[in-house]
Amino acid sequence: MRRARGPDAMRSPSGAATVVVWLVACAAAAVVAARTRYVADLSAFLPAAPTSGQAVLLDQLKSGVASRLVLVGIEGGDSPARAAASRALADALRAGGRFDTIANGDTSAWRSTGPFLFEHRYVLSPAVDAERFSVEGLRAAIADTLALLGTPAGALVKPVLMRDPTGETVRLAEAMLPSRAPRVEDGVWVSRVAPRALLVATTKAPGSDLDAQEAALESLRAAFAPSAARGLRLDVAGAPAFAVASRTQIRSAVERLAIAGSVLVVGLLLVAFRRPGAVALAALPVATGVLAGVAAVSVGFGQVHAMTLGFGTTLIGEAVDYAIYYLVQARADGEREGGAAHWLATRWPTVRLGLLTSVCGFGALVFSGFPGLAQLGVYSIAGLVAAAFATRHVLTAIAPHGAARPRGRAPPQPQDRAHSPLVRAADALSRARAPLAALAAIGVVVLAASPSPWHGDLGSLSPVDPALVQLDAALRADVGAPDAGTLVAVSAPSLEQTLQAAEAAGARLDALVDAGELAGYDSPARLLPSIRTQLARRAALPDRATLAARLEAATRDGPLPASRLQPFLDDVEAARRAPPLERSALAGTPLGHAVDAQLVHDAAGWRAFLNLQAGAKPLDAARLRAALAGLANVDVVPVRAELDALYAHYLREAIVQALAGGGAVVLLLAWRLRSAARLARVLAPLAAAIVFVLAGLTLAGATLGILHLVGLLLVVAIGSNYALFFDHLREERSDDAPHDTLASLLLANLTTVVSFGLLAVSGIPVLEAIGRVVAPAALLCLVLSAAFVGPRANAHGRMRAS
Amino acid sequence: MPPKVPERRARHASGAAAALVAALVAAAGCVLAHAADTFDLAHLMQMLAGVRSGEATFVERREVRVLDRTLVSKGRLEFQAPDTFVRETLEPTRERIAITGDTLTMSFAGRRRTVPVDAAPEAAVIVEAIRGTLTGNRASLERHFEVRVSGTPAQWWLDLVPREARLRTLVQSVRVGGEQALVRRVEVYLSDGDRSFMTIEPKPSPNGDAPRARP
Repeated sequence: MRRARGPDAMRSPSGAATVVVWLVACAAAAVVAARTRYVADLSAFLPAAPTSGQAVLLDQLKSGVASRLVLVGIEGGDSPARAAASRALADALRAGGRFDTIANGDTSAWRSTGPFLFEHRYVLSPAVDAERFSVEGLRAAIADTLALLGTPAGALVKPVLMRDPTGETVRLAEAMLPSRAPRVEDGVWVSRVAPRALLVATTKAPGSDLDAQEAALESLRAAFAPSAARGLRLDVAGAPAFAVASRTQIRSAVERLAIAGSVLVVGLLLVAFRRPGAVALAALPVATGVLAGVAAVSVGFGQVHAMTLGFGTTLIGEAVDYAIYYLVQARADGEREGGAAHWLATRWPTVRLGLLTSVCGFGALVFSGFPGLAQLGVYSIAGLVAAAFATRHVLTAIAPHGAARPRGRAPPQPQDRAHSPLVRAADALSRARAPLAALAAIGVVVLAASPSPWHGDLGSLSPVDPALVQLDAALRADVGAPDAGTLVAVSAPSLEQTLQAAEAAGARLDALVDAGELAGYDSPARLLPSIRTQLARRAALPDRATLAARLEAATRDGPLPASRLQPFLDDVEAARRAPPLERSALAGTPLGHAVDAQLVHDAAGWRAFLNLQAGAKPLDAARLRAALAGLANVDVVPVRAELDALYAHYLREAIVQALAGGGAVVLLLAWRLRSAARLARVLAPLAAAIVFVLAGLTLAGATLGILHLVGLLLVVAIGSNYALFFDHLREERSDDAPHDTLASLLLANLTTVVSFGLLAVSGIPVLEAIGRVVAPAALLCLVLSAAFVGPRANAHGRMRAS
Repeated sequence: MPPKVPERRARHASGAAAALVAALVAAAGCVLAHAADTFDLAHLMQMLAGVRSGEATFVERREVRVLDRTLVSKGRLEFQAPDTFVRETLEPTRERIAITGDTLTMSFAGRRRTVPVDAAPEAAVIVEAIRGTLTGNRASLERHFEVRVSGTPAQWWLDLVPREARLRTLVQSVRVGGEQALVRRVEVYLSDGDRSFMTIEPKPSPNGDAPRARP
């Protein structure tokens, strides 16, 4: 088969069968891909949580009130204009129905709530117990209430004085007073530090329903349009704004990356092959790989994250390598044998080994705790295997002679080949081995001498614009929203048990508040006490005759005679007969929203979140744990510490994965190469490339995290291919086409560098981290493979081992 | 003090002609004498600002329309420049309200609540009236109130009317009376007709930080 233009493989029965199988598989994958749900939220980078504290945290991050809280700032104009805009916006949002709680400091919104609280004051007031309705208790309570009269606060007490002389309404209001509230000006919340009005709203949609949250934010902007027309500005922050912004950003970046990656790779191939036909052939394995990757992730995970597709551009760069190797290396020239059979015999084993090392590397990702990275692993493995399969079986069948040489360019003559610029460059590099090794040693010294750059955190994974993060922090400080310091989580199978646990925790927290260690806390049990507590309060109310007698004694000689307090006796009597307050009674009211905001209900039961407001100095988790010791169903969640622990956990996991992946690659190579010297030669350029890139990033002051580690793993997976080909050149001394081998390597490398280079400038931190490691390292791997592994040309132009 | 520069310039210019000097000196003397005679807000504030801390006892009488008789409470007051003010009621019930900066802490029998003052403008208006006066904080007073001073340093009155219309629906006016740098009386006129009168008896300052005489 010197000139293998004989029977077309396409016509051979086995080749045709293979192509049919491939077409059917591609069609099936296309169907799966078309039916796949594509997501672009941040869930891929919220790990499946290992500890109960972290479960609480993720719960809160995914669906708790934190995931629904929208912070709004209104700027521009003067203070009354901003106040008017704030009221108009609040009214529009209340009418719009996409938001639950809307708060802007305007107490008129609570006017409807007042009568409800007043009516149920005897089951809601924390002060109600038997002692309060003794003669002494009544006397003290009435004195407290009278102390408010004649002060501005008296205006609120006076209208209900005869019905509520013990001031249960006041106690109720006092318990609900926020210890951290924004400044009020012109009747609405304003910032203390900037000219801006503030509004806080929670979306009805949970954090997991990004489409609905996006619609809610759209409606918010639309509702503000009339004020915007008057020159006022709207700032929107909070978790929904983050999530929607990052999704939009991920989506647009992924689209941009896919288009730019395709255009650049196709452009490179056009320059190299100068024939659209060849470019179309090269695209076949790529398309096969992408389809197989999407289908595999879809089947394995039930959905595909847009971030995974973002990595798809790198798969383009990787998968096209196989096509390039085949199309370039299989073409015949005047002197030597070409064709599919020859390529399969001489080069395929090397490509296959390269594929296996890549699979080992990506394989480590499959076990990652980040669903996003696990998806990337599955996607890459399926994609690469499918691309290699398509090259091995389909390309060899439909293009049995590789790609034709560029038009107008004759096959290089032997002398030309020996003096081809690529061969000369490779030769020059192999002579620079010693200085490059010395440079790598310097890189090791730099790394050893520099402080560790490995201190990324979870925040570094978020693609959100830092300006939005700053705005969020500013608005959060303005409204005194609970910071993500520490929260107390209470969980139990039933609502009643959860509320009882929240009350038990609340009693302990009250002690901390009274001692001044804590400024305050939120609890759903304030607005909706457990039935047990409500019944106990009701039981503490004396019957009418008893109360009348005690009241008579308690008010004797006082400024408020019992004779005027008949309405009080009536109300207490009515409260003794009223049924306890159920959650359903609150449904749809501002109180109901306020309660629901602090509760999460799922299959496992109920969870309540007690946000803490720090006192003068923050309370540490240990002190809080001690204060809450012995309470069932109560967890202290130091949010910051848990997030850091979470990240540390995943960094450790990633290190183990990277080591396992790297180890698997080394074992595989050792097994296939069967020579310690060859193994060392193949690994040397990879190690040196990693040293150079790490030293470079360290010197540039970069902060390294999990994703950089993943990038290093990919460097090993991809770079080993180059080293193996140089090893092949060196071992097969009689390689008949060093120029073509080198040309295919260079082209393959350029496509990889281009696609990872695009990631490096994508604007999505997760993708950037990987791109910035892999793009330079891939280039370095090729150069260093030429230097450390490649043979040196001899005087006759043949390559020889040095 | 900023006005010193033009003053000095004026004097320098006056060195040119003796007659002018005499005229200017006479005029300056006139102005100074006039300033000393007219007791204004600046003067009062300067006087009050000279006192950095103080303690006093108080008796407060409140006339409340719905009640048959006047409510009387007694307690002590304490302030510390620049922004701390404490009112502790000892009779008839014990209650302590402490304000530092923007933080108001209320303590009742065993209970304690902390709230930001400016989040509750109704509370802030009284706080600023008393604290602003005690510390001679003219800017703060004028931000919240229309301010009017009457009387003499020996016996002065400061009338404060809330600027914000919403607040005037609660508090009509606050009237603070004093002698030299000492606040002796606080009268609060609520919009619903209720009134409170507080008389203040200063404790002699232990560190000799006696009320300063006119500067």
